[in-house]
Amino acid sequence: HPWETVTTAAMQKYPNPMNPSVVGVDVLDRHVDPSGKLHSHRLLSTEWGIPSIVKSLIGACRTKTYVQEHSVVDPVKKTMELKSSNISFTNLVSVDERLVYKPHPHEPDKTILTQEAIISVKGVSLSSYLEGLMANTISSNASKGREALEWVINRLNAEIEEFAASARGTMRNSMAAAAFVEK
Amino acid sequence: MNSVGEACTELKREYDQCFNRWFAEQFLKGEGGGDPCGQLFKRYQLCVQKAIKEKDIPIEGLEFMGPSKGKTENSS
Repeated sequence: HPWETVTTAAMQKYPNPMNPSVVGVDVLDRHVDPSGKLHSHRLLSTEWGIPSIVKSLIGACRTKTYVQEHSVVDPVKKTMELKSSNISFTNLVSVDERLVYKPHPHEPDKTILTQEAIISVKGVSLSSYLEGLMANTISSNASKGREALEWVINRLNAEIEEFAASARGTMRNSMAAAAFVEK
Repeated sequence: MNSVGEACTELKREYDQCFNRWFAEQFLKGEGGGDPCGQLFKRYQLCVQKAIKEKDIPIEGLEFMGPSKGKTENSS
């Protein structure tokens, strides 16, 4: 999909069926900088469906994980960069992600996404198995991310189609009415 | 999509609609002209700031855009 389509969808990414754990999105700050780039700071709230026994131990209000996201959209250079890191009350593991969307250099109807994730563990030693598990989860989340945007793009297109169809219907009715009157 | 503060969801929806339209139809096409959603954003922001304080969400080093632009919220 062209870069404009992907960028518009990325701004409206949630809710989507591939990320059911995202329960809230808020814009904390948004401004256009002197060079014309749009900066947005967003807060995402996620709820992981923790078993109720765990909830009763740690307290229900601590089951939400928050992700802080900073995005920069440059409409002239056509780049969108997203940096996100999780904030949580436990803060043992933090995941920082960086995504960059750019138009494909040779195919203008396509967009290239590069994605990297940095996993940091504070004060707890994880075995390499667990680290591998997290890395796998992150890479399968990356393809989930692409599916999610595909879903949003289809939804936006369907909304446009519906609007166009009802506009056509209205026009046909008015034309038929005008033809009838002319007779 | 809901807001982190349940009371803010309606304000958020109004702002989002305004922003998404401006973003796709003006900003991405290179038309400057400024963001027309400022008023909606301010109202929505006040609500969100309150909700974040109430829920004690530890957000670092962010300047909230509110009626007084120079305000900085520091939480650790």
